[in-house]
Amino acid sequence: MRNRTKAQEYLTAFVMLLPYILSFCVFFAYPLVKAFIISFQNFSFLGDAPPNFVGLANYKEALTNKMFLDSILNTLYYSVLVVPTQLIIALILAVVVNDKVKFKEFFRTTYYLPTVTSPVAVSIIFLFLYKTDGLVNQILSHIGITPRNWFNEPSFVMPAIVTVAVWGSVGFYMVTFLSGLSTIPDQLYEAAEVEGAGEFIKLVKITVPLLKPMIFFNTVVSFISTLQMFDLSYIIGGSDGGPMGKAMTMVVMIYRTAFKEFNMGVASAMAFVVFGIIFLLTLIQRKLFGEEMSY
Amino acid sequence: MKKFLTILLTLIFLLSLVAGMGAAQKGVFATSTITLKLGAWASSPAEKKIVQNQIAAFKKLYPNVDIKLVEIVGDYNQKMQLLMASKTEPDIFYMDSMPAWQYIAKGVLEPLDYWMKKYNVKTIGYESSLLQPFIYKGKVYGLPKDYNTLVLFYNKEMFKQAGLTRPPRTWQELKDYAKKLTTGKVVGLTMNLELARIQPFVYQNGGKVFDGTKPVFTDPKALEGLKFALDLFKEGICKTPKDLGAGWVGDAFADKKAAMTIEGGWMIPFLNERKIPKDSYGIAELPAGPAGKSTMAFTVAYVMSKNSKHKPEAFKLIRFLTGEGGQKFVVEAGLALPSLKSAGVNFAKTYPERKALVDGAKYAQVYFYGLDGTKVVDVFNKAFEDYIIGKKYDLKKNIEERVKQIMK
Repeated sequence: MRNRTKAQEYLTAFVMLLPYILSFCVFFAYPLVKAFIISFQNFSFLGDAPPNFVGLANYKEALTNKMFLDSILNTLYYSVLVVPTQLIIALILAVVVNDKVKFKEFFRTTYYLPTVTSPVAVSIIFLFLYKTDGLVNQILSHIGITPRNWFNEPSFVMPAIVTVAVWGSVGFYMVTFLSGLSTIPDQLYEAAEVEGAGEFIKLVKITVPLLKPMIFFNTVVSFISTLQMFDLSYIIGGSDGGPMGKAMTMVVMIYRTAFKEFNMGVASAMAFVVFGIIFLLTLIQRKLFGEEMSY
Repeated sequence: MKKFLTILLTLIFLLSLVAGMGAAQKGVFATSTITLKLGAWASSPAEKKIVQNQIAAFKKLYPNVDIKLVEIVGDYNQKMQLLMASKTEPDIFYMDSMPAWQYIAKGVLEPLDYWMKKYNVKTIGYESSLLQPFIYKGKVYGLPKDYNTLVLFYNKEMFKQAGLTRPPRTWQELKDYAKKLTTGKVVGLTMNLELARIQPFVYQNGGKVFDGTKPVFTDPKALEGLKFALDLFKEGICKTPKDLGAGWVGDAFADKKAAMTIEGGWMIPFLNERKIPKDSYGIAELPAGPAGKSTMAFTVAYVMSKNSKHKPEAFKLIRFLTGEGGQKFVVEAGLALPSLKSAGVNFAKTYPERKALVDGAKYAQVYFYGLDGTKVVDVFNKAFEDYIIGKKYDLKKNIEERVKQIMK
């Protein structure tokens, strides 16, 4: 009798999980395996000719493609600019709206709002702001800086995209930091105050060390999402990567190779190279942060 | 147990619903009239109207053929590849000149020669340059639905103020005019910094960038032509719309930020929309270079899928759309030029002020660079940027380097 109930329980659990398992297989596992196979094939959606095995040729082509190599550098440059800026701003915002200010709910909502806005809408708005006669230039001209075409100059396009990206996603990291802050016991701050510690000391000696798990989580998530950057760059720079290709990211390059150059095999190989890069960088971050992450 | 049953029932219900939808779709083909699917990218309502009118007129002639317009929103080539992979592509569909050979070389399009012979359609009736992208190894795969050419738009008011009475006819005049018209707020000429706009200068100089089957990168005559055009940018008498803070040349021209622009016939409906009076601007052929006149032609053809189940009807539809009956609507709408020569004559009569667009077709180079089109365009565009923005002055060396990197 008891066994039957157990079997029944398993069955129920399985049926409950079935939708997820199915969608995981259909939309994640199968495409992943398929893409991996394609990365070794001369594959085309068009025509009936069966794809033929080409060994590592696609990887070789991907890794000798100057545009793809440039896109890796561009993406890393973007990540290196975005991740620290974003996390520092998010941390400061989180500490500030945690308890110090009036209307903190209002500020929390306001800072979070861009996160739920479509990146497409965000980039289109910023295209307007950054125009030669746009708002940004009008403000800058008041302090004596000549108007520039931010999205159209090779050396400025990436930093300009970075500001958009930081503005658009800082809210998400602020919220995770906020949840981390709520786990820090007040007694620690009280004790520090008794010892005569100022705000800055409290931030550096208590908040930051105790937020380490959160900082690790945010760094990893932020890094991965910046390495996968597509929408902003694609809308602002197009599939040929903006001025002198300086806005070309790895994922835009994959898209371009697959759907503009009709080269599915090489595009899949690129995708796995990107996967490798992300995997490697995440491992490195794990090592840097150390194994123990709780207090 | 009850819960389990409920879930199971729900699942079965959902599955049967999906299956039912599939069956319902198949049901359409089972009736006696046949259904042809016509694939098109989503465009302006005015353009859609043309196709709808054409379909209605076709239905009058062939009442037993039902035509379903499949509008593809978003990235056309991406979706089309997916449709083909699942063998659900439309019977006939739009094909842009640029990726045409990619599709043809993969063998997914039906060669039309057999059908053209059978139904008496001759290539000679079409504007000659337009067919080039759709002929591969001697076979015709598509018939052009319409096209557009690049012309020079100029602001008559600004011309008057600068004491100019007619549009420039030679390179020298173009340069002098642009210089004269460039003032503090207005730039003489605006155009996109891309091969499609710069290429006419190559052919006007007697050079070439495409020899019929493959791109040519370092023809000295071509380089000379490229340099002439690019130096207009360098001298500051020509600027890109981006540099002028405009979305595209249309905006720059309508906002009176530039006195002249080199752009296609699609400017006209745009300027109408912006309420720019028709007699405030002129349309002229591009100025001739040392070797004569040249311009670009942009075209889209109707092609047939190899998997179509109703090839005779599909071809009849293509014949209608690209023939007198269908091209009539293209002429009436005036958005693009009819690809049929005889209809082109009517277009020039209907819109005399747009004659320059049709005249250009006689000597135009079609926007097409063979199998590696995307890469070829990229080589040139990036080299142009290097030359103007990046200050790498050796255009030839730069192009050669990029060819080595990208083309292999």
